Amino acid sequence: MSNRNSTRAPRIPKVLHRVAVVAAMVIAFFPVFWLLSTSFKPYEEWASSPPHWLPKKPTLQNYRIVFAPEAARRFAATQAGSLDYKVSGSAWAAFGTSAVVATAATLLSVVAGTLAAHSISRFRIGGDSFAFQFLSVRMFPPIAVVVPMVVLFSMLRLTDTHLGLILAYTAFTLPFSIWMIRSFIEEIPVDLEGVAQVHGMSQVEAFLKVTLPLIRGGVLATALFVFILNWSEFLFALTLTSGHVVTVTLQVANYVSASSGKLYGVQAAMGTISTIPVIVFGFLIQSHLVRGLTFGAVKE
Amino acid sequence: MERHDTVQLETQCRPLPRIARLPFSIVLVLPAQLIMLLVVVVPTLIVVWLSLTDWQPTDNIPWFKAEFSWFWNFYDLLPDERFVGAVLRTLFVVALCVSTELVLAVALALLFLDEWPWRKVAVSVIILPMMVVPVDAANAFFMLFNDHGPINQLLSLVLDRPVEYAWLADPHWALLPIIFAEVWQWTPLMFLLVLTAFLNVPRNQWRAALGLGATPAQAFFRVVLPLSLPVMLVAVLIRAIETFKIFDVIYILTRGGPGATTESISMYMYNGAFVYFRMGYVAAAALLVLFVVVSVCLALFKPLQKHYE
Amino acid sequence: MQNDDEAQKAIDRRSFLKSAAVGTVAFAAGTSLLSWARPAKAAGSLANVQSDAARAAKELAGGRVVTLRILEPSGSLGNIKPVADRWTADTGIKVEYIEVPLGEINQKVLLEAVSKAGSFDIALPASFGIPDLAESGILVDLDQLASKYEPEGYQDSIIYKTANYYKGDFYGYETDGDAYVMFYRKDWINDPEEQKRYADRYGIPLKVPDTWEELDQQLAFFHRPESGRYGVALFRSQYFIAWEWWVRFHAKGFFPFTDDLVPQINNDAGVKALEELAAASKYLYPGARSNGLFENFEAYGKGDSYANIGWGGTQKYLNGDKSGVKGKLTYGPTPGGKVNGALVRTPYFNWGWNYVVSSLSKEQEIAYLFTLYAVSPTLSTIAVRDPGGYFDPFRDEHYKDPEIIKLYSKEFLDVHEASMRGSIPDLYLKGQGEYFDVLRVNVQAADVGQKAPKQALDDTAREWDRISRRIGRKGQTVQWRFLKSLYPEAARSHLV
Repeated sequence: MSNRNSTRAPRIPKVLHRVAVVAAMVIAFFPVFWLLSTSFKPYEEWASSPPHWLPKKPTLQNYRIVFAPEAARRFAATQAGSLDYKVSGSAWAAFGTSAVVATAATLLSVVAGTLAAHSISRFRIGGDSFAFQFLSVRMFPPIAVVVPMVVLFSMLRLTDTHLGLILAYTAFTLPFSIWMIRSFIEEIPVDLEGVAQVHGMSQVEAFLKVTLPLIRGGVLATALFVFILNWSEFLFALTLTSGHVVTVTLQVANYVSASSGKLYGVQAAMGTISTIPVIVFGFLIQSHLVRGLTFGAVKE
Repeated sequence: MERHDTVQLETQCRPLPRIARLPFSIVLVLPAQLIMLLVVVVPTLIVVWLSLTDWQPTDNIPWFKAEFSWFWNFYDLLPDERFVGAVLRTLFVVALCVSTELVLAVALALLFLDEWPWRKVAVSVIILPMMVVPVDAANAFFMLFNDHGPINQLLSLVLDRPVEYAWLADPHWALLPIIFAEVWQWTPLMFLLVLTAFLNVPRNQWRAALGLGATPAQAFFRVVLPLSLPVMLVAVLIRAIETFKIFDVIYILTRGGPGATTESISMYMYNGAFVYFRMGYVAAAALLVLFVVVSVCLALFKPLQKHYE
Repeated sequence: MQNDDEAQKAIDRRSFLKSAAVGTVAFAAGTSLLSWARPAKAAGSLANVQSDAARAAKELAGGRVVTLRILEPSGSLGNIKPVADRWTADTGIKVEYIEVPLGEINQKVLLEAVSKAGSFDIALPASFGIPDLAESGILVDLDQLASKYEPEGYQDSIIYKTANYYKGDFYGYETDGDAYVMFYRKDWINDPEEQKRYADRYGIPLKVPDTWEELDQQLAFFHRPESGRYGVALFRSQYFIAWEWWVRFHAKGFFPFTDDLVPQINNDAGVKALEELAAASKYLYPGARSNGLFENFEAYGKGDSYANIGWGGTQKYLNGDKSGVKGKLTYGPTPGGKVNGALVRTPYFNWGWNYVVSSLSKEQEIAYLFTLYAVSPTLSTIAVRDPGGYFDPFRDEHYKDPEIIKLYSKEFLDVHEASMRGSIPDLYLKGQGEYFDVLRVNVQAADVGQKAPKQALDDTAREWDRISRRIGRKGQTVQWRFLKSLYPEAARSHLV
C-alpha cells in the first residue's frame, strides 16, 4: 500500500478517531468473543437470564464432548448437573474428513487452475469469453445444480463419498484458482519465457522452470485461499452426503438434542476449533485477500 | 506480436510429438474443463429435463422416466407466492446488505487512511469476521439474538425496560439478525477493497487539489472518491452476487421460517428439493433463476471486460 | 366439596379409561383382521422372542463380520445403545450409528431413495413420514419377514400401531409413545379459594377439563399477568400449532376429509376451532410464540403457568430435579368436545418413531431381526427406562415397570396409557408433509391476525385439493379410507 504517510483524511479529532476505531474493533470481535466464551460455559449458563458474558463456572465439558465423548460421559457421571449428551462418536472424524476433502480439492483446483490459467494467459485460448465461463459458475446459487448433482452422483455412485465432495468443491473453486493465478501470471512478462525458449526450453519447461517459481507465492496464496473456501463450505456437505461423510461445518449442526434443543456450548466449542485454521490461513494470506475475493480484478 | 514469436520459437526448437493431436493449449485446460463438464454442465442439462417434469422421489420411478409435463411447472411458478416472495426478498436483502456494507466500509476506510502506532492490529481485528467459518458465525448470532441473549440485554439497558424479544421467531423481524450477521461478516471485505482503492489514488492528484485551495473534505469527495469508483463498483458487484446466493446464515438462523418469511432463493430451493422433495418444480425455479442471472451477467459482460483491460 | 370433586374426577377418569378400553378392543379386533389377512405365522413363542431373534440373526450371519448401520435421530442414542449393546453381546453383530438432527431424519431417509447411497440398514424415521417413505420404495415391506419371525401376540401389547401400516402393508414397529397429554397445576385446581371463585363465575366445578371450551374458560380464569401468572404454555410455533388445531377440529366431530377425499377442514367447525385457537393465544405465557420443545419444558417448569401440553418427554423433565413443579401437577388427556350431546374424546398421537429397514440394505433379514429384538417387551422396557433419551412408554409392560413408574409418576402414566389407547392418528397420507405444511402456515397466519380464519382454512382446503390431485386422488383415497378404519372406535363413532 502506497503513500500512507501523507494525511489524506478529512480532519477528525484524534480522540474521536481512536474511539471510533476501537468501537469498530469491539463490534468486529464481539461475536467471536461470545463464541469463545460460550464454549467454556456449563449447561446452565448457555441461555441464562441475564446472559453471562463470561462463564461463572468455566468448564471443559463442551470440548470433552466434542473430542473425547467417553471422558465427557465419565465426567458427567461424577458431576451432577453436567451435560451428559450422548454422542456416538467424537468430532475427530469430522476434522479428518474436512482435512482430506479440503486438501484434495485444493490440490486438484490449484493444479487444474494453474494449467488452465497458463493456457488462458499465454495462449489466449478462446479469447476472453472462454475464461468468463468459469466465472459464471460463481454467479448462480449452487443449490440450483445440487438437485441434479444428487441424481447424477447417485448414478455414478458418488453420493456420500469423499470423491464426490472433492469434485464438487473443485468445480466451484476453479474460478478463483484460474482467475487468481491468471492475474499472477500476467504480472510476469512473457519475454522471460521467450528468453528461456531461445535457450532451448520448450514452452512447458519455460513455464515450469521460469514463471512458476516466480509466482510461487501467489500460487501458495491461491491454494490457501481455496482451502479456506473448501473448509468453510456447507451447502454441498449438507446435500451431497447422507451421514457417512461429515465435515466440520456439518458436524456443528449435529449438536442438537431433542430435550435440550441446540447445544450452544458444544456448538461453540466445535465452532471455535473449526474456525482456527481459517483464521490462521486467512491472516497468512492477508495481503492477497483482496486479489482473491475479486477474482484478480483488484490487486492490493 | 509476442504470441507469434513464441509459436515460431516452439516449432523451431522442438517438433510437436505425434500423439499430441490436440493443440497444447487445449490439453492444458482439459482437466478444468472436464471437471466443469461433470459438475456443472451435465447437471444443468439435467435441470432442464427435470424442469419439464413433475418428478418426486415418492413416485418411485427413476428420474429419466419421469412423466413429461411440458411447461406446467413454469406456469405454476410465476403466480407462486412463495417463489415470488423468495425472489423479491432476496433482492431486498442484497440491496440492503450491500448498501449498508458499502457505507460502513467507506466510513471505516476513512478512519484508516492515516498511519498510527497500532493501525496494523486494528486492521487485523476488523478483518477477523471475514475469516470465521460462516456457519460458526451464524451460530454465534443465533446465540446473540436469543431471548436471553446479550443483544436483548443491551436493548434493555438502552430502552430502560426489560426486552426479551424473540427476534428469530417474529415473521416481521426475523430478517434483521440475518442481515446483521451478513453485514457483520462481509463489511471487512468491502472495507479492504475500499481502502485499497483510496490508498491507490496517486498522491499528486490529491496534493494538487489541496494546493488549488480545496479542503480535505472537498478533495476527498471530488478526487479520491471518483477515482476509487471502478474498484468500488467491482466490490459492490461481487458482494451483490455473493449475497444473492445467501444460504448458510439463513439455514442456521431460521431455516427460512417462521413460515416462509425469511426464505431466500437458495433457501426456497433447498426447502423445495430436500424438505418437500418437489424436485421437478424446484428444477424449474432453478432454471428461471439461472436464466435471469446469466442474462444479467452477459449484460454486464462488456463493462466488466472493459475494466479488466 | 373436595370429596365430590375427587369423586367427579375419579368418575371422569374411569369413564375415559373405560371408553379407551373399549376402543382398544375394537382396535385389536381391527388389526387382528389385518393379521388374519396375512400368511400364518410359523414363529416361536413371545416369551423367547429375544433369544430366538438373536439366534436366527447369528445363524444368518454365519461366520461373517456383519455390521448393522442405524440411522438415528440425535438424542435417541440413549434409548438405542443399551439395546444394541446387548444385541452385539448376544449375536456378535456390531452396530454402527449414523446420527442426524431429529427434525431431518425423514428427509434423510427419503433422500436415500434418490441418492441410492446405501448408507444405512435400519432407520428410525418419525412415524408420520412412513407413507411418503413407503411410496418412494426405500422401505422394505416387512409382511413376509414378520410372518416368518414374529411370534403370536408380539404386537398385541404395543398400544399404538396405526403408523406401522400403510395401505394394508406392514413397514416397521412403532417404538415410542408420543400421545399428546395435558398438564395442569394440581395445587391451583385444588385451591379452595380458586374453586369457589371459579364455581361462582362459571357455575361449574373446577376440575381437569373435558372439552376445549372448558379448557379455554379455565385459561381465561387463570390468566393473571399482573400477578405473574399465565394461562397456558401451549405452542404457537411450527407444526405444534397445527397439531393443536388438529385436535380442536376433531373434537368438534369431524374428519379432515370425506370418504371421497374432499377436505372438510374449512367447514364451520374448522373455522370455529381456528377462532378458538387464536382466542386462546391471549392466555399464553411470554415466549410461547417462539418456544420450541425444550424452551417449553423450562418455562413451564418455572411454575408460573396453569396448563401445558406435551409428551412423555415433557413429563420426564417436569418430574425431574431441574423442574420447579415436580409433584405439583395433575394430568389429563387432550380435551375433547361435545358432539350431539355426547362427550367425544380425541387424544392425539403425533410424532412417534418407527424402526424401518432400508430396501438398499444388503442384510435386510438381519436388520429386521434387530428391530424385532429391540421392540420386544423386555428390551423395549430397557430402552424406555433411559432418562436421557426420549422414547416414551408404548407397551403394556412399560406401565408396570417400577423404574419407569418412578421416572414418570403413576398419575401421569395412567393418563398417558389411556391417551395412547384412544389416540386418533396423524394424517398418514402420501405427501403428509405438504398437507401439514400448508395447514401450519395458514393456521399461523390466522393466529397472528394476518388472515381471517375462514380465509386461512379455505386457502388450505384449496391447496389440499391441488396436492391430492397431483399425488393421485385414487391412491390417496384408498389410504384415507384405510386410515379412517384405524381410528379408535370411541372417536370414530362420533366423527363425521
